[in-house]
Amino acid sequence: MVSALVGLACVLVMVFLRVPIAFAMGFVGVLGVAHQRGGLLETSSYVPAITLAARQIADTTQDYGLSVIPLFILMGLFISKGGLSRELYNLGNVFLGHLRGGLALATVVACGGFSAICGSSLATVATMSRVAIPEMRRFGYDDRLSSASVASAGTLGALIPPSVVLVIYGILTETSIGKLFIAGIVPGVIGILFYMGAVRWVVLVNPEAGPPGERHGWSERGRALLSVWAVLLLFFIIIGGLYGAFDFPPLNLTFSPTEVAGIGAAGAFLIAFGRGRLSLRDLFEVLRDSARTSAGLFMILIGAALFSAFVNLAGLPEALVGLVTGYDLPPLVVIAIMAVIYLLLGCVFESLSLLLLTVPIFFPVVVALGFDPVWFGIFVVVVTEIGMLTPPIGMNVFVLQASMGDISAATVFRGVTPFWVADLIRLTLIILVPGVVLILL
Amino acid sequence: MARFLWRLIDGVETALLLIASLGLFALMTLTFIDVSMRSVLNASVQPATELTRILMALVVFASLPSLMGRGEAIIVDLLDPLARRLRLARFQQGLVDLFCGIVLFWPARRLWVLVERARDHGEVTEFLQIPQYLVLGAIACAVVITGTVTIARGVLTLFFPHLAKE
Repeated sequence: MVSALVGLACVLVMVFLRVPIAFAMGFVGVLGVAHQRGGLLETSSYVPAITLAARQIADTTQDYGLSVIPLFILMGLFISKGGLSRELYNLGNVFLGHLRGGLALATVVACGGFSAICGSSLATVATMSRVAIPEMRRFGYDDRLSSASVASAGTLGALIPPSVVLVIYGILTETSIGKLFIAGIVPGVIGILFYMGAVRWVVLVNPEAGPPGERHGWSERGRALLSVWAVLLLFFIIIGGLYGAFDFPPLNLTFSPTEVAGIGAAGAFLIAFGRGRLSLRDLFEVLRDSARTSAGLFMILIGAALFSAFVNLAGLPEALVGLVTGYDLPPLVVIAIMAVIYLLLGCVFESLSLLLLTVPIFFPVVVALGFDPVWFGIFVVVVTEIGMLTPPIGMNVFVLQASMGDISAATVFRGVTPFWVADLIRLTLIILVPGVVLILL
Repeated sequence: MARFLWRLIDGVETALLLIASLGLFALMTLTFIDVSMRSVLNASVQPATELTRILMALVVFASLPSLMGRGEAIIVDLLDPLARRLRLARFQQGLVDLFCGIVLFWPARRLWVLVERARDHGEVTEFLQIPQYLVLGAIACAVVITGTVTIARGVLTLFFPHLAKE
């Protein structure tokens, strides 16, 4: 156990020294395995450790189940290029825009809708900020409210299916990805409602932050609803396919996550192409960016697998389980401690790296305590996504800043506080009432 | 000479990314066709699984040199302001690149052993009979290229910072 803790400390030091997370975890993992196999000074102990690394590189990148990762990333980028974000925003606007803070409410709803077809919170923030913030500025919204509503609601991208982070959690813990996707729906909808509550709170305290916009007629609302048919269709195919909604004669169709990812990516491509938003150059850019992002994620997966192998060989999970059962800590207290650890580490790590670093250690403990692995997956995603809004790292905030250019990170961080509180309430609800996660399963 | 070298590097990067892009597009099309045929005609594309595996390796490893060469691997840059203030940023970045590049040669050497083993055993894929050593060999070469590119980036950052910026 001591060697695993030393290894963990080494990973943290290397990461702070700007070593890429994948390399830090992989390097320490290989040294750790060598240590467990005969000692660091024994040359022969490096052979199994490096062979493990080589095997992991070859096997991870050729794992059929992992093909969902590039395909979901590709789908998200096609959707971003396809300009569907504008229609989604318009839909929220025609229904809610006339309320005080209505455009921010519309932003939250549109981010939720966009999350249903895009698997990443960063992509959601980058896409929605360019659509929603200029519109909110036109109506005199406070930059703190407009930017914070996008940055916060963007986190839904990692929770509302399809979600790349949930896919990776599923692969890492051998939990059903289909079940994880279904389980993400209710907490995602609760997230939308709580964020809407946060917007209402902001305009209640400071009515000038979100002046009301124009009221729209029902014919306009009907047209807006029809304009998002592509989003609804894609979401219906993805979730319906996974949930077995088409499993009746003569169709008899139930899709695996890999199949859904392929259909989703191809569908998103056809939508973007059909809308005339995809030139050959755009197509190359989308494919290139998806490939590069996937390569980065695969590197982290390989690094995490090596670190995980070391941690398991060193017996850290068993030791933690022994510690928890030895002290006879109530399971809820253990989860609360984990939540605090995640919130603290979330200030430093972006969500995926944090998940990959901690899940191999915490997962056996959680399972030993009798928690549902699907519930834990949703808990981890919600708690790590809070870190995407927390200074100093807060990736969503920086992506929004990079996307807009003229909004400072300090402005967003100041505006995000009510949304952060909403997130903490949602997290507490998920911990105390696991049924909100498991209700659809 | 330097200009020619940069153009060559640019050309190689574009070619590799084009291969990765085509691989990804093929992966998407293959999965879509396989699912559609299985669902509608009850006839799947039999070599789909092995082609998917090969295409994934192609996508990841053809983009890896570009990812590392551009320094786009996921990092924590919390201490960057401190490193800049202490004028250590370039030194730190160069050393990290050198470290990552050298570390990549570890598994690359071992991968080569696996390549030779796969060739000696005559391992092939199930349907298309594609020799496994070709796939493993391509992975090993890509890891070596990525390691070389990362080391070159580190050397440039440390000793020729004006070139590294280009």
